[in-house]
Amino acid sequence: MKYQITVAWLYPDLMNTYGDRGNIICIKKRCEWRDITCKIKELNTDFDKRELENCDILFMGGAQDRQQQIVTKDIKGEKSNIIKEMIINGTPGLFICGAYQFLGNYYKESDGAIIDCLKILDLYTESPKESNNRLIGDIAIKSYFLKDKPYTLIGFENHGGRTYLGKNLKPLGKVVSGYGNNGEDSTEGIIYKNIIGTYSHGPVLPKNPKLADFLIEASLKIKYKNIKLKEINDILETKAREAIANRLDLEL
Amino acid sequence: MINLFLIYFGKFTLFISRSFNLGHGSTWPGHIALSVNKKFINQTLKKSRAKIVFIAGTNGKTTTTKLIQTVLEKNGKKVFVNNSGANLLNGMSSSIIEYSSLSGKIKCDYFIFEIDENTLPLSISEITPDYLIVLNLFRDQLDRYGEVDTIAKNWKKSIEKLPENSVVFLNADDPKIAYIGKNIKSKKLFFGIDDKSLGQKDLQYASDSLYCPNCDKKLDYETVFYSHLGIWRCNNCRFKRPPLSDNDASYYPMQGIYNRYNTLACVIFSRTIGIDETNTNNALKKYSPAFGRQEKITINNKNVQLFLSKNPTSFNESLRTIKELNAKNILIVLNNRIPDGLDVSWIWDIDVEKYVDVFNKIFVSGDRCYDMGLRIKYSMKSLNDNSKVRIFENLKDAVEKAVENTNENEILFILPTYSAMLEIRKILTGRKIL
Repeated sequence: MKYQITVAWLYPDLMNTYGDRGNIICIKKRCEWRDITCKIKELNTDFDKRELENCDILFMGGAQDRQQQIVTKDIKGEKSNIIKEMIINGTPGLFICGAYQFLGNYYKESDGAIIDCLKILDLYTESPKESNNRLIGDIAIKSYFLKDKPYTLIGFENHGGRTYLGKNLKPLGKVVSGYGNNGEDSTEGIIYKNIIGTYSHGPVLPKNPKLADFLIEASLKIKYKNIKLKEINDILETKAREAIANRLDLEL
Repeated sequence: MINLFLIYFGKFTLFISRSFNLGHGSTWPGHIALSVNKKFINQTLKKSRAKIVFIAGTNGKTTTTKLIQTVLEKNGKKVFVNNSGANLLNGMSSSIIEYSSLSGKIKCDYFIFEIDENTLPLSISEITPDYLIVLNLFRDQLDRYGEVDTIAKNWKKSIEKLPENSVVFLNADDPKIAYIGKNIKSKKLFFGIDDKSLGQKDLQYASDSLYCPNCDKKLDYETVFYSHLGIWRCNNCRFKRPPLSDNDASYYPMQGIYNRYNTLACVIFSRTIGIDETNTNNALKKYSPAFGRQEKITINNKNVQLFLSKNPTSFNESLRTIKELNAKNILIVLNNRIPDGLDVSWIWDIDVEKYVDVFNKIFVSGDRCYDMGLRIKYSMKSLNDNSKVRIFENLKDAVEKAVENTNENEILFILPTYSAMLEIRKILTGRKIL
């Protein structure tokens, strides 16, 4: 039997800064190299909410402010409720930067204005008073998404907002180098059920193939139960990871 | 009077620093003049007939500057060119000193300034350009320049302040640039392309301006020439591409659709200042490319051509152009130093998939060679195809091997980021390797 999954790519026209598309390319290729069919469904403004049915992975990238406002208008209400239900039922997903902030309760701008978010996860984001005070640079975090052993996630962060997690939420990992969620508490990102939220661009998946495989495997497990992914030759991925680790003076 | 003294003193400083090779000599005198008299630039220029030209845009500034410089110089004008961005005012006042006679008269007809994304508003607030050319706006070094929307807004605000006697040349095919022309006092002229046979059906992936700058609804494109440049209209608010003053040139000195726009900008400018078409064309025929911009270099009887590729749009256009030129061997060099931007995420916005099959050998090098290696690996249909890719951490080795693997009747196309381009030129023209 040939396995098949469908990725819902939310608002690619609007939410796609910083090469976030690399994550979609990575999921698709790592499926195809294993002879798994991978369909990408591009869901732009005014998409029919029924399109979300039969989607096995959710993905949303970062955006500019103006574009995020357009998305907010479109996603609020029924679409947002469906996505919330999918997340609670274990559908895996990846939400980068602006999309990650979007999952929380609200975003407070530097002038104090509050922008309502989707309220799917108990977290919030604040923009500092000095608008040019962005957190920019390579980032490495120690993450436990694999459960049995830690894995170092490597990426590049560039965000103004500072995100704070509610008490019952687990971060994606602990910052080893860089800033992470807010530059204060050494946490970075969020992992909830099979959803990952992160500030990591880079893009995050090609440089962290185990995270890509985690999402693929989680989606296949829901659909086909017992699944074990075939290994892929990741020598080049490892070299790219090592090059950054060396710059940051870290061991992988 | 004080200004005349500053000119004498400046010329003296310039002479001293050049004679003793003190370095940084070029902006010193300007710095001194400005700290003595803040209005030095405006006062001296008011007395002269010299015109000031600003050239802004994400891609094509250097080429457009060189095109215009060529046309002006071949038509007997004296031109000063400055591309030191942040050092604009010191550079400007230094060049005034250098080009002034001892009676305080400026012996230069045109001052041309390349202005980068962030310095346009500041530059306009300090110096009023007689002519401003706005080429395009693409995502580029988001970690340094910020978001495209913010830049567009700041540009519009500052261009609105220009007086009625300034002339602004705007690329009508770029919606955000066309929108700048809405409600401005200065004279505006639009350039763009009408020939639909040059267009593509689909928007390229990394397109930034898909939404109407006036009402935020999705734009409708009749034709796309590259990235988000094309014949567009908004079906919601009826805002559409403005009528063009110039849509074609009779001679294009460089390959690639992006260079058509640079040439059009030069042609519309030349016509506006009164140079006739024949004289413009004759000058353009003698054009030689700027550093790394389709520059040809011969080494050991092998032909090499450099295509500076510094952001997703310029990379896509380089790939498209070299594919049209039947490229077989390519060398891609990715650095992430300060001039390149530290973040290399942008390479995933390049449409590598569209082009990768046509190349026989792909050499990769640079500080971030493995990131580029990954980008190419993930553009391949099968993992086996990756055997045509060779990655070298050492740039000299990469250049040597790539040149070696190129036949004498072929061209090796090199696509470097900015700092990589400078390094490669050094290797190739210094002839240190091989």
